[in-house]
Amino acid sequence: METKSKSMYDMSSSGTEIFTHGGVGYVPPSATKDDVQTCGTLSIVSYSFGKCIEWKPNDVSIETDGSEQEWAMVNTSKSPSASSSQGDANPQRWLSVRIPISEIKSYRVSNKKTKLLLVHKDRLTHTAFYFQFENADCFTKSLRSVVRTRRSRHDKHTYNIVQERVDPQMPHSFSDFNLLTDRKETVWKFVSDMRSKPYETTLSTFSKFSEYLLYKNPDERPSEEVARLFEGRPQQPQNPALDGSKSDGLSEYLIVERLKPRVLCPRGQPLSVTQWANAMDAEGRISDVKELKKIIFEGGVQDSIRYEVWKFLLGYFPWDSSTHERQELRQVKTEEYFRMKLQWKSMTPEQEARFSDFRDRKTLIEKDVNRTDRTLPFFEGDDNPNLGLLYDVLMTYVMYDFDLGYVQGMSDLLSPILSVMSNEVDAFWCFVGFMKRVFRNFDMDQSGMKKQLSQLHTLLSAVHPDLSHFLDEHDSGNMFFCFRWLLVWFKREFTHQEIMVLWEVMWTELPCSNFHLLVSVAILEREKDVLIENNYGFTEILKHVNDLSYKMNLHDVLATATAIFKQLESSPNLTVATRRVLGLSGGSSHNSSSSEDDSLSDGLACEMAALEKDCDQGDTTGVTPEK
Amino acid sequence: MANRSGPQRPNGTAQAKICQFKLVLLGESAVGKSSLVLRFVKGQFHEFQESTIGAAFLTQTVCVDDTTVKFEIWDTAGQERYHSLAPMYYRGAQAAIVVYDVTNQDTFGRAKTWVKELQRQASPNIVIALAGNKADLANKRSVELEEAQAYAEENQLLFMETSAKTAKNVNEVFLAIAKKLPKNDQNVNPSVPVNITAWLTICVLRAGHF
Repeated sequence: METKSKSMYDMSSSGTEIFTHGGVGYVPPSATKDDVQTCGTLSIVSYSFGKCIEWKPNDVSIETDGSEQEWAMVNTSKSPSASSSQGDANPQRWLSVRIPISEIKSYRVSNKKTKLLLVHKDRLTHTAFYFQFENADCFTKSLRSVVRTRRSRHDKHTYNIVQERVDPQMPHSFSDFNLLTDRKETVWKFVSDMRSKPYETTLSTFSKFSEYLLYKNPDERPSEEVARLFEGRPQQPQNPALDGSKSDGLSEYLIVERLKPRVLCPRGQPLSVTQWANAMDAEGRISDVKELKKIIFEGGVQDSIRYEVWKFLLGYFPWDSSTHERQELRQVKTEEYFRMKLQWKSMTPEQEARFSDFRDRKTLIEKDVNRTDRTLPFFEGDDNPNLGLLYDVLMTYVMYDFDLGYVQGMSDLLSPILSVMSNEVDAFWCFVGFMKRVFRNFDMDQSGMKKQLSQLHTLLSAVHPDLSHFLDEHDSGNMFFCFRWLLVWFKREFTHQEIMVLWEVMWTELPCSNFHLLVSVAILEREKDVLIENNYGFTEILKHVNDLSYKMNLHDVLATATAIFKQLESSPNLTVATRRVLGLSGGSSHNSSSSEDDSLSDGLACEMAALEKDCDQGDTTGVTPEK
Repeated sequence: MANRSGPQRPNGTAQAKICQFKLVLLGESAVGKSSLVLRFVKGQFHEFQESTIGAAFLTQTVCVDDTTVKFEIWDTAGQERYHSLAPMYYRGAQAAIVVYDVTNQDTFGRAKTWVKELQRQASPNIVIALAGNKADLANKRSVELEEAQAYAEENQLLFMETSAKTAKNVNEVFLAIAKKLPKNDQNVNPSVPVNITAWLTICVLRAGHF
């Protein structure tokens, strides 16, 4: 079993070179920024298991004598430990690159046609080749002879790979079947052929077929039985590679089957006054932080001790501080707060008149304080003194971090904290702790938000590839409809009481610091059928998602999100990107470097750039968008 | 006024055209974009309407002569920080309402910037209306009616001073846009069945707003 699946991608398996192009540079992903490109040869090679794009460096061609050569499968579905450990341990061993064409979503030619960027199906992995002497045209031309492509609607330099062209000599290939006809016999014939054929062919066109099955109008869909056949794992014991636990390199396709079953994760009781008191030793230090966080994660905190527990969760008080130390700390922090508050309080009108950056921030705060949570008893009514507190804390925060200043959404983040603390100094320092976690949400260029939206897409693709595929196909792969959720941590989606629980749960950073993304996946999972069945587009999806506000049950959502994490955690063969988002080992590293993070959001960044470009050029159609 | 701009009874036939248009609201933070939409779509006004995060999407239908105009309304966040998201919303829009606050001169300046951006980057035939909102606070006005009017004429914008609070000119500004939009076959939505009952319901609902 092992041998067979391994040999598929083994160097020794012979292939036919369809096209070769010399003088092509490549920089391995493990290289540092200063590393130079290695010059080599880029080819398209046909193997029994499908066609691949291969790159080999010039200087090692002498070593290409069979199975000894190391192949860097730039293939997100490969077991992460195998590829990353090789690459990390010794970058020099990334000698060659082989990418199955079935793994490629699109390609983009840029830099005066000298750069060829291959975007993989997970949209996160990119491989770039540099044509050092000529342009990429002759290569892309050859590529187009083996795959069907379609120019992107958003970017004229990007071509999406629609489908691999099937060898003409292959009998009963997919091209023989007109998938868009509505004849049931054809579908059944297709199914039986598919089951008896080599699985490689089956898988290479699987996505097209599943799209047909899942997204066609319900009345045109073949019988439920057919659909079930495809949703379930194919029963082919004679074919070892389909045995999910053993096969290698194909998890991209089998990932749905490979996720372990969900285990129920019931919610617990909130942290009680007694538990909280017992957690502290005689001096008031908390030793078993882990256990405490676990209780909070599972059930939140009782109302009466929230104002105390939050100070720890938000990093205002260190867990290992004694009661006495905390008293001292609070004194110091109080002084510091009032010093900063005095800075803006003592500004004269003349100063202010010549300080537009300050004035702009102040104006924004005035506008938002007046309209933040005014239906909460804590803030309701005219001349409510708590509005003054909200204003003072936000203004002081502007002095604390003038560069970030005030951005819409911050008053939403402060409001629950202030209502729990009732004290401006404590509220301020807790808010500072919260902002430390989420300040990137307020980046001027939205890069923090784009990165999270991209990570959310990664997780959704792992849990519900059909939904993420649907969103991609409906102009919503950028996940912008979740912008509000992530920007203010669901503040506009749940009631005040629920938000307090949700936030304290997420502040524990259990089971991972991206739990808010799992919460998003849990919510989307519930809406999946509605979105797909109604065939919603960008606007309808956004409206539907916005309208979920105050209609969700927090406990169910949390239980589902937890169960999803456990399911993913226990599932082998998650993509590296998914593991990285979840902070699981094998996802390169827990503290992924910023360059890796950047590459994560590259797909979105490209999309945004294309979008902005479209806008720059002006939309000349003026036609109602198609529905 | 209601009769002038209000819906007209269909002439007994079910052949009325239905057009669909994308409309986007732009303008400085807290000038009343969401409030205008809320008034137009639901006939409501919230004194402390919360700030918009990301964008909101609503629809409303009006009748102009023999045509039903369905607006797909994109309501956006006004703060400059979220400016980079705006093209996503005004892309492909056939109409825009640029809103300012009559009591705040800065917001009028910002409105002019939006108009310029739309003229440069949005669809070339976009119908732009300028709305001087919070007209109920005219005693605190800092933008003169004549000033805004002159600017609007210069730039060929529809212009009205509105109040989402009192409903003044809210339906009117949307109707003015609906009248100005080209109701050619391109915008006719063939997928919407022309249903006389729905038509009447819409007219009755709309009439309730006047």
